[in-house]
Amino acid sequence: MKRKIALLLAGVLAVSALTACGGGSSSSSDAGAAADTTAAAADAGAAADTTAAAADAGSAEGGKNLVCYWWGNQVRNERTAAALELYEQNNPGVSIDPQFADWGGYWDKLATLAAGNSMPDVLQMDYMYVDQYAKSGLLVDLTPYIENGTLDCSQISENTMASGTIDGGVYAICAGINSPALIYDKTLTDSIGLTIKDNMTMDEFFEYSREINEKTGVKTDISYGTVNSYSEYFMRSFDIVPFGDKKMNGTAEDWIPFFAQYVTGLDEGWLIDPSIFAEISIGAIEQMPMVYGSSPETRSWCALANSNQLAAAINAAPEGMELGITTWPAYDPVKSDYLKSSQFFSIGAGSANEEEAVKVLNFLINDIDANKILLGERGVPAPANVAEAIAPLLSETDQEVTAFINDVVTPNCSPINPPQPDGASEVYDLLNRVVEEVCYRQRTAEDAAAYFFEEANKIMATK
Amino acid sequence: MNNKKKQMTLKQFMGQESTAGVVFSLPFIIGFLLFMIVPMFISLYYSFCDYNILNPATFAGVKNYVKMFTDDPTFWKTIQVTFYFALVSVPLRLIFALIVAMILQKTTLATGFYRAAYYLPSIIGGSVAVAILWRRMFAADGVFNSLLGVIGIKTSFAWLGNVNTAIWMLIILAVWQFGSSMLIFLSSLKQIPVSLYEAARVDGASKWKQFWSITLPLLTPTIFFNLVMQMINGFLAFTQCFIITQGRPLNSTLFYTVYMYQQSFEFYNTGYGAALAWVMLGIIGLITIVLFATKRFWVYSEGV
Repeated sequence: MKRKIALLLAGVLAVSALTACGGGSSSSSDAGAAADTTAAAADAGAAADTTAAAADAGSAEGGKNLVCYWWGNQVRNERTAAALELYEQNNPGVSIDPQFADWGGYWDKLATLAAGNSMPDVLQMDYMYVDQYAKSGLLVDLTPYIENGTLDCSQISENTMASGTIDGGVYAICAGINSPALIYDKTLTDSIGLTIKDNMTMDEFFEYSREINEKTGVKTDISYGTVNSYSEYFMRSFDIVPFGDKKMNGTAEDWIPFFAQYVTGLDEGWLIDPSIFAEISIGAIEQMPMVYGSSPETRSWCALANSNQLAAAINAAPEGMELGITTWPAYDPVKSDYLKSSQFFSIGAGSANEEEAVKVLNFLINDIDANKILLGERGVPAPANVAEAIAPLLSETDQEVTAFINDVVTPNCSPINPPQPDGASEVYDLLNRVVEEVCYRQRTAEDAAAYFFEEANKIMATK
Repeated sequence: MNNKKKQMTLKQFMGQESTAGVVFSLPFIIGFLLFMIVPMFISLYYSFCDYNILNPATFAGVKNYVKMFTDDPTFWKTIQVTFYFALVSVPLRLIFALIVAMILQKTTLATGFYRAAYYLPSIIGGSVAVAILWRRMFAADGVFNSLLGVIGIKTSFAWLGNVNTAIWMLIILAVWQFGSSMLIFLSSLKQIPVSLYEAARVDGASKWKQFWSITLPLLTPTIFFNLVMQMINGFLAFTQCFIITQGRPLNSTLFYTVYMYQQSFEFYNTGYGAALAWVMLGIIGLITIVLFATKRFWVYSEGV
């Protein structure tokens, strides 16, 4: 009996060895090793799926298998998967594997897939990473497809196209337009007869915060732990684009006002206590102190968010709280404010069905029926005709957001900063830490500015 | 003829017990080589490289190691936090495990239930759900402050938001997960011969004296085993910090492993992250060697 089992196992082993040989001969040994590393490093299932799917696509003659990968929320996942299904129905023989993750997991996995040369065919891209990925040759330059008409960008504004253009090549197409937006507790401001102005200045913002704190005890949450966009927005008023080539632009003194606003808030007592951020998931809209705080000291009257997050904030708000939307405060609102692509779509380099992937991309961007499913969840659609076509179908909230972007932001904004280079995420981590030190009274504004500027320059110099 | 002889040897070879053993353990061996050993040595190579995952690695010598020891205050901060966490939480956890094991030593109807109940935190304690629960419990308006309110101490102190108390919330969570050490203690407590206690009683030794002179010395091999295992786990702790505090406030709870993760996957300094990993391997190796070196001074060994 024992011998029989041993023989059987030896047989199984022989078969698996043969299969392994077969696998080895169909791909170069390098790629094989890389794929193994991918499977080992990334969280098991999904990465292996992608690798397998990519291999299938390479070998299949008839059907075309594509992988589409994005980050997002439940609504986005459902709508995007439904839109991709519609594409499959219209194009027999094409099958698209929808894959999604949350923001953090997305970038971990994408980096690992990139290292294994198995980039997804169609993927969502962010402004913070597009420069790095494009310059590493991991994204396809879409210029030839735009020229031959496979990808139609005629309805997208020049400014929007420019944000996905790097060194003359188009690497990313806007998946939806949004803008920074201050979402505030309108029920609270109404109750003390305060009207919040659009395009408010920094001084007006301080004034609002003081008044609200005096009359209701409710505090103010300036961006904390997520200062990335806010710091850039803030510095735009002073004509400073933070990141230069392997260095920081401007001087240490230029950063003093940024840290000083926190000190002002602490001195005057209206800034929310930093210790409350220890208990929440920073960045999650559902846990922003505005909707999450249970007492005046732990609540904020406003939150620095993005326009496409209004619906999520309304969902998260307690019963009976009405929310308003306006622009972020700035010393010079017109200089600071901007429209941006909330996210992009890109095509991964090395796709076995590059042309088909571009067609899927074109479908997601331009097809009216697809966008009637997607319903601008990623932001206002970039092509003007698509935005117009879906407008009547939008919910009241989404229509409010569209009006905000068209009527409030568009006439009062400036072109967006160039994409952030390699090193930006590390600098922002540093900035978050220094803001924390300021809020815990470990540094003065002057000291913080000097320290931040020096350390950030050190980080950038190594890139 | 020749052919037949060959077949015989093949059959004999297949019948050998060692062949069966190797075949059975092959899935593990292959997995271990492919997913542990190979990536380990790749990471050793990367630790000497400039590598950001997206671009091919370029050899950079010992730059990463030099930077770590000479130009990275955060590295020293995480070392300090991790040592504090491991050196405080591990002894506390072992003491707790031993106390509970001694209480549960006697077998009655209820002990089975209590053993399972006390082991539960070890199963669920490392999970994300408990980490989130922990964060809510020690929030300014959390359960813990409400309980304090019940006994008359009214406070809205943010335990996780204070530089001095935040690390203790993680230590308490770690101590709470004493179950596996407790089980090991339980089984070795049961192996101490009853005759020793009987003899001690006849000689008139107090319970306290019995504990110090019989129980503790005979438990030292188990304590040693638990200490080594838990120390290694302590230095590798990740989830608590990653989910609950993310190192906040002011990096006062930033564990080494979380910093390593940040460098590798958030800042894309993967070469530097690999170097951090190898330094941690060295630290853990060193601590284990030190523990083994002290073994002969305090661990009771029957053979000698």
